[in-house]
Amino acid sequence: MPTWECFFPPPCLSQSSPSDFPLCILVTVLYFARSAELVGLRSESVSVPQRITSLQLWEEIVKIHPRLAVIRDQVVFAVRQEYVLLGDQLLVLQTGDEVAIIPPISGG
Amino acid sequence: MNEREDVPKDFIKLKSEKLSVDEVSELVISPCCGAVSLFIGTTRNNFEGKKVIRLEYEAYTSMAEMEIKKICRDVRQKWPSVKHIAMHHRLGVVPITEASVIIAVSSPHRAESLEAVTHCINTLKAFVPIWKKVCLVQIWF
Repeated sequence: MPTWECFFPPPCLSQSSPSDFPLCILVTVLYFARSAELVGLRSESVSVPQRITSLQLWEEIVKIHPRLAVIRDQVVFAVRQEYVLLGDQLLVLQTGDEVAIIPPISGG
Repeated sequence: MNEREDVPKDFIKLKSEKLSVDEVSELVISPCCGAVSLFIGTTRNNFEGKKVIRLEYEAYTSMAEMEIKKICRDVRQKWPSVKHIAMHHRLGVVPITEASVIIAVSSPHRAESLEAVTHCINTLKAFVPIWKKVCLVQIWF
């Protein structure tokens, strides 16, 4: 649930906002393979701060689905279909962005 | 064949139906090419010492297709004489010995297509978001 610090912006609001009032937006989180089994879902909408590091984003998702914690060391994200490691990389997310949890791939 | 129809093409497909070696190799045939190199990945009956009854594949389909397109671009940069590239991957259940992936590359001479096919499968396994679920034999005690 968004706290009082998070709010949905009117469409005219610019992207940058004071860091002590984080803007929250809805992204689509996609789950694959082991992560989908742990969560019991293939996808869902999640409200997250627009500006967030990839590690913080992971922690937001684990708050909702604590069972994911067991695969923390094995996963990466794909944000807007680009791979992102869990770490300090700052993400600037837009409403409707796809964020996929990517367990170790095993195609071929 | 009309020369205008023979521009280099990439044939990318993710599908749940059985893959066809004939179909994939015919896609890349070209009158200017003397070589078609092929890789077929088939399901094995063993995994870490255990007996496998089948594999099930899933994909982040939209991203997988994009990543495969990137592989094709990369191949054309590294081996400019490569003509056509076909990469077909099966999704869903793949029984033992059936093909899960078929890659075909054509080039005027054999060295480029052989090297390019190797690069394609190695890069697919490293970067394309596809997962296999290994279904092992279960025994009732």
